[in-house]
Amino acid sequence: MKKSIGDNMIPKDWGLERGLDLVKRAGFDGIELWLGDVPWFQMTTTDTQVRELRRKVENAGLVVSNVSTGLHWASPLSARDPTVRAQAVRIVEREIETAVLLGSDAILLVAGLVTEEVPYNEVYQRCVESLKPLGEKAARAGVRIGCENCNAEHRFLISPREFRQFLNDVNSAAVGIHLDVGNIHETGFAEQWIEIHGPRITRIHLKDVLKHRGRCGDQSVYTNLFLGDNNWPAIRAAMTKVGYDGWLIAEMEARYRYAPDQQFYDTAQAMDRVISGRL
Amino acid sequence: MDLSRREFLSCAAAAMSHRLPIPSRVAHAVRPVGCILPVAGQCSLPESISGFHAALDNEPRAVLGHLVVVPALLDLPLDFARGIVSWLRHGATVIVESGAGFTGQLSFRRHRRSLRDGLQLAVHTPVRLWSEQRPFRRTPYVDYTWPHPAKIRDFSRVVPLEDQPGEIIARADGLPVALKRRTGPGTLIYLGSPLGPALWAGDVAGKRWLLSILA
Repeated sequence: MKKSIGDNMIPKDWGLERGLDLVKRAGFDGIELWLGDVPWFQMTTTDTQVRELRRKVENAGLVVSNVSTGLHWASPLSARDPTVRAQAVRIVEREIETAVLLGSDAILLVAGLVTEEVPYNEVYQRCVESLKPLGEKAARAGVRIGCENCNAEHRFLISPREFRQFLNDVNSAAVGIHLDVGNIHETGFAEQWIEIHGPRITRIHLKDVLKHRGRCGDQSVYTNLFLGDNNWPAIRAAMTKVGYDGWLIAEMEARYRYAPDQQFYDTAQAMDRVISGRL
Repeated sequence: MDLSRREFLSCAAAAMSHRLPIPSRVAHAVRPVGCILPVAGQCSLPESISGFHAALDNEPRAVLGHLVVVPALLDLPLDFARGIVSWLRHGATVIVESGAGFTGQLSFRRHRRSLRDGLQLAVHTPVRLWSEQRPFRRTPYVDYTWPHPAKIRDFSRVVPLEDQPGEIIARADGLPVALKRRTGPGTLIYLGSPLGPALWAGDVAGKRWLLSILA
């Protein structure tokens, strides 16, 4: 297994090159690039600039583990407005295009957003319909789309069996799950999700979660590895059971208030412990 | 002149593929049999077409009667409108579903003008039911009163009706959003909040309401 971390973790005032240097020194093998979240990787970033981005990553001794985006929170595939939906599709297409340019074979997307206004059945149907052609496009590009389980946040596909049914309905080998072991909260157990989805897991986001706290305003329920309630020995064992040997990607929501670089070192070392199974 | 559903649908498909407003055979059909007829290039919500198909395709011909559904309409061409008027005069039930809730101003003006010129329907500009300016929205439903009371999901933006001849058959947040008007032996039904997406998402109450129109 290899370790990666999001470029949106790089302190805002550091810049890309300094950030990449830190990521490498901390012991990561790759970096997750967040389309739309960082100044160096936007929807307006040209192909030439994306190639230059890849060169910088490789010069730092890293590779791009995957392309992710948070843009679908504002422009979901499940939107009723056809214009917003078209933009959501374009974001996925751009993720696929840039993944190819960056030498990666995986992208992340938040598949849908259930709200008071847009109900579950519509969101489900619209996401399935959107993902079928996108899956074909991804397959042609040699890229897999990982729909992230954002259980609590998108109020959608809350259980692992339901998520499996969703992927069955999309029915594309190029569409799987980008599993976040911290996002499951009180609704289940990450190790069971890993078992159920096995080969359909495109990437795994690692973070810990304080299950009993619940969100309160801006207070995060997510925390550094081993500080929360995830059962890490069980998670590691489940990865072994299903033969997952792909990328593990750190996604920390709560940041160190001081010495932000230290969080990179601590996280990388904790991930080494997960990988080695010394838990 | 009678026109079978198969014939009618094939004409509709031809209209779409050739981007014609409406083929003459359809336009001159006196009694079309249960069909869904999007106006070529003027349907804003493909899922609405799918929704009506999902609700109606397996219904027997006898149930569908002389129903015509024009889903998610934007701009109604005049010759298409003439076809609708002709069908109404021969006893058809025509559902015109507005698809203009999400359109821009220019497109909406065309929508409004074409409804007024073609069917004498007068509508207000779209209202966004879920905006922050309307923080007290209580329920996400359109309340239908005819042919029976039904609660069907709204579609975020509605195109309300102005005062005009006909019976208001549904309201959303107090706004009149659906109208029934008798035209000779036929019935024109205008939906200012799309029904097709609810049908597409499997809304049982929506399908029951639709079929009850035909009873």
